[in-house]
Amino acid sequence: MLSLKGVTKRYGDTVAADDVSFTAERGQVLGLLGQNGAGKTTILSIMTGYLAPTAGTVTVDGHDMLAEPRQARRQLGYLPEVPPLYDEMTVRAALGFACELKMVVRADIPAHVAEIAAQTGLGDMLPRRIGNLSKGYRQRVGLAQALCGDPELLVLDEPTSGLDPRQTAEFRDTLAQLAKGRTVVFSSHILSEVQALCDRVIILHHGRIVCDSGLKRLQSGGGTRLRADILGEDKALLPALRGLPGVQRVTRLPSPGKGQLSVLLECGEAPVQPALFTLLTGMNAPLMRLQPVENTLEEIFLRVTSEG
Amino acid sequence: MRAIFKRELQAYFYTAHAYVFMGVFLMLGSVFFAVGNLASLSGDYPAFLWNMSYLWMLLTPVLTMHAYAGERKARTDQLLFTSPVSLTGVVLGKYLAACAVLLLTVALSLVYLLVVALYGRVYPGETLCCYLGFVLMGCAFLALDMYISARARTPVTAAVWAFGVNLLLWLTDVLSGAVNNKLAASALGFISPYMRYAPFQLGQLSYANILYFLAATALLLFLTVRALDARRWREA
Repeated sequence: MLSLKGVTKRYGDTVAADDVSFTAERGQVLGLLGQNGAGKTTILSIMTGYLAPTAGTVTVDGHDMLAEPRQARRQLGYLPEVPPLYDEMTVRAALGFACELKMVVRADIPAHVAEIAAQTGLGDMLPRRIGNLSKGYRQRVGLAQALCGDPELLVLDEPTSGLDPRQTAEFRDTLAQLAKGRTVVFSSHILSEVQALCDRVIILHHGRIVCDSGLKRLQSGGGTRLRADILGEDKALLPALRGLPGVQRVTRLPSPGKGQLSVLLECGEAPVQPALFTLLTGMNAPLMRLQPVENTLEEIFLRVTSEG
Repeated sequence: MRAIFKRELQAYFYTAHAYVFMGVFLMLGSVFFAVGNLASLSGDYPAFLWNMSYLWMLLTPVLTMHAYAGERKARTDQLLFTSPVSLTGVVLGKYLAACAVLLLTVALSLVYLLVVALYGRVYPGETLCCYLGFVLMGCAFLALDMYISARARTPVTAAVWAFGVNLLLWLTDVLSGAVNNKLAASALGFISPYMRYAPFQLGQLSYANILYFLAATALLLFLTVRALDARRWREA
């Protein structure tokens, strides 16, 4: 559905995007993560044709954004970080205008506007002037504009930025509904949001992709992490655990109680549980708890951005 | 293009821009008419339109300052420039909407002509010719100021630059009579929209002058498209 190949954007000596390449398949929800200034907005602006890349190509459904902009943009709905809203217009007029821009057949516009308003929770707001709306509703109008013309690709730049927690939760629910059957690319620096909505995560740092992976794979880190609480002496247990086949790293955690050892075992793909049970039985060290631990997105994000 | 035209035209009337433009135009027009025609009992309508033509220089920035610079500042241009509408469509839609406000304003000024017709004599051919030049010059100023708006970052800078450049064009008329160098004088005369408008005021329908205004307008609209396209390549 969407393909970026070697996209680079330079402003003088500053490189805002450096050789960025990825594809997004139909129906995929892709989160673009990065610190402020990592190049997220630049990439999204290039993806939507608002900016032209210094080098590289963007294609949407096989149409090159520079060579065939009309065909490419027909497939695209874009909600920038600041929603592009005309304050003097009513919500109905703004959505009608967006439909006309997206070449929706004139006779179909009223029904299309009503449908989008219902999807985005704007049904009662249609006669209201945009300038009088709250931040949350303005964001919804921005999203509704992006949905005009029923685009297959939705590009959202920090869509919940500036919303209060309740508005954020409501907006996320709406997004989750709208994402069904569409390709969605959205940028955020709110990790829980990406975790809640995305199938795949791309982490940008200084304009470069430093991580591109499915969320589940990213969280498992390509192996297994286990927390084990063991009753026994740490002096004997720690070297034994480190020598266990399949265990790559053992990290000591704060002890949960007197005479107990708590450790984080970072293992490969192969299960280590049978060998662990055998070892502890042999050492007469009862296992009090064994719990799989997922990589949090925060940990992954901090790791890859500090490495970058 | 049609959608842009409709939205822009509505926006002019939903906001104060069209009212300021029309209000100041008619207010100053009334002063010119009262002083130049009523007080002196003169039916010289071309002279009235000549005075009115200086108002384009002052007022066209009001219609153009928000066209691109305002959209850029409010970031609403992101909706237009990521939609399937071509840049040419955007530019023409916006330009024609501004022209529509200008034409409506000119239509309202016909009330002065009605007064002259009631109490004096109107020469239809001469008046039509004057109005043609008057409108062509106004539309050319709009195209120039639209281009300046496309280059500016904020509406205020767009308005100040537009007014400055408009004033400079008026000065070309003054300077062409003041410089000693023949080549410089003829170059300034060639550029000056006021010298191009002067024959219309005398009732002379010159194709060269019509072509001058039309070509200048087309060139400036083309440059506006290019300026907007160039922004995509260098915008930070």
